[in-house]
Amino acid sequence: MRKILLSVATAALVFTGCAKKTVEVQAPTQQQPTQQTTQVNEGSGMQTINQGMNEQELKMQKMKEIEAKSKKIYFDFDKYNIRPDQVPNVDWDAQLFNAQDAKEFKVKVEGNCDEWGTDEYNYALGLKRAKSVKDALVARGVDPQRLIIISYGKSNPVCTEHTKACWAKNRRVEFELLP
Amino acid sequence: MRKLILFFSLVISLFALDLTLEIVKDVGDQPKIVLEDATSSVESRLDAKFFKLLVGDLEVTAHFNVDTTRHVAPFDAPVNYAAYKEANFLLRYMLYYDDKGELDAKITLLDLKSGKPLLTKAYAISDKARYPFLAHAIITDANNILGFPDVSFLKRYVVFSKYTRPKHADIVVSDYTLTYQKTIITGGLNLFPKWADAKQTSFYYTDMSGTPTLYRVDIYKGTRTKIISSPGMLVCSDVSRDGTKLLLTMAPNMQPDIYQYDLRTGKLTRITSYPGIDVNGNFVQNDRAIVFVSDRLGYPTIFSKRIGSRAVQRVIYHGTNNSACSAYGDYVVYVSRETNNAFGRNTFNLYLASLQSDYIRRLTANGVNIFPRFGIDGETIMYIKEFGRQSGLGIIRLRYNKAYIYPLHVGKIQSLDW
Repeated sequence: MRKILLSVATAALVFTGCAKKTVEVQAPTQQQPTQQTTQVNEGSGMQTINQGMNEQELKMQKMKEIEAKSKKIYFDFDKYNIRPDQVPNVDWDAQLFNAQDAKEFKVKVEGNCDEWGTDEYNYALGLKRAKSVKDALVARGVDPQRLIIISYGKSNPVCTEHTKACWAKNRRVEFELLP
Repeated sequence: MRKLILFFSLVISLFALDLTLEIVKDVGDQPKIVLEDATSSVESRLDAKFFKLLVGDLEVTAHFNVDTTRHVAPFDAPVNYAAYKEANFLLRYMLYYDDKGELDAKITLLDLKSGKPLLTKAYAISDKARYPFLAHAIITDANNILGFPDVSFLKRYVVFSKYTRPKHADIVVSDYTLTYQKTIITGGLNLFPKWADAKQTSFYYTDMSGTPTLYRVDIYKGTRTKIISSPGMLVCSDVSRDGTKLLLTMAPNMQPDIYQYDLRTGKLTRITSYPGIDVNGNFVQNDRAIVFVSDRLGYPTIFSKRIGSRAVQRVIYHGTNNSACSAYGDYVVYVSRETNNAFGRNTFNLYLASLQSDYIRRLTANGVNIFPRFGIDGETIMYIKEFGRQSGLGIIRLRYNKAYIYPLHVGKIQSLDW
């Protein structure tokens, strides 16, 4: 369009006849070539729907992370009182369960025993160990309503070798988070 | 009934007035019995196992001096009296498959001194896998025809829980030798099975998936009924003789104590209240009192208490770690840890005590002896013996001061009832 206008203006000047007049003819500016861009739209603009399953998985992941950070509380042979060397672990666990991101979860406090001792008494021993830890956590500000205790006796060993190190590992309280 | 049997057996045998006293009977007093196998058409492996079961049953009665050689003779062949001059009885038996393909047995029990047949009988069993019960029936009949004291414990079922993997245990019903086994409850952690009554048609057990819950299972109907649940732990430790009351160890307030549960009324009565551990209640003295394990002295040992009274009495003044017991009438068998090694193998022995006397009798000498359970006659105790990585089933015949151990291949047993 601009070309046409320029041609028409030039022609008008030529035919109106000012012969001696120097006509400055502006050379047409060289046109820059237009860059052709193809917009690729496939795959964009899709919306995600955040379903419960995903949330649940995230929750599970969070629970597992907190569980992994928790410290086991170990006990002496045939005893259910918390040993002085285990108190820092209880402090750590109380802090962990009192943290903001853990407060939505319940905590199952599981009492366990080594392979010695007999059936019923061993289950009761595991229960008393779990209760000792629960009481210690409550004393450190954990809401008792969030704590569930159970005894697994000797049904849940972490170590099955017949060694003293192994038996000591099994006399423990550990935690499982529940939604 | 169990009491009655015990009473008569005590009256009849002047020498066994107190089972806590050791009575050693001379083996020579017992009649010698010989076994002749006439089996020809049954798998040799089954035949061999059957012979072992017959020998084991005869031995555990403690009424015979058993010739453990497997003699062979056709069922109708004449008896070779000359070969068995030293023996008193001959039990000839034959296993065979009948027209329906079922396993049958026929037997002849002969008095070798007089040549008289004492018992001729045929047996059939629809499921071959139950062959141990065939052996137990034969020996029970042979024992009874000879007028020896009752050995019906041979035909009793055992219910036990065995660990399969962490937090998992199945419940299995078996014969008393644990040879025949049928898994009844599987999946999850299933513990502390206890027969509901002397008929052994149903048992109680605790399902630990979720809040511990006590169920009653009818083994013939394949049904289970919820009885009660309690957080923390729940165990049915004993059932009254009439089957209407249960002794439970429960922890509704996270405190293990003993409760009595009346099945007819649903009434729950707390029997013990102590801030430590009270477990393993057993009815004694016509179900009016209990014996139980408590750590009220700072270590576990055996106490008794009349139901409804406040007083608690110490029963055992021996040992510093007696953590399990079983009772029958006035007798208590308990487990005592003899060594106090936190980091090594310990010895657990069984002892028998009476609520009527101060005597105690040691029943085992070494190893780890656990899960003692009185049999229906009150004179036979079953237990598990562990040595190294092996375990064995033990039977103690109190009246005869005899103990028998059979090797076990069942994995780790959690609890058992007989």
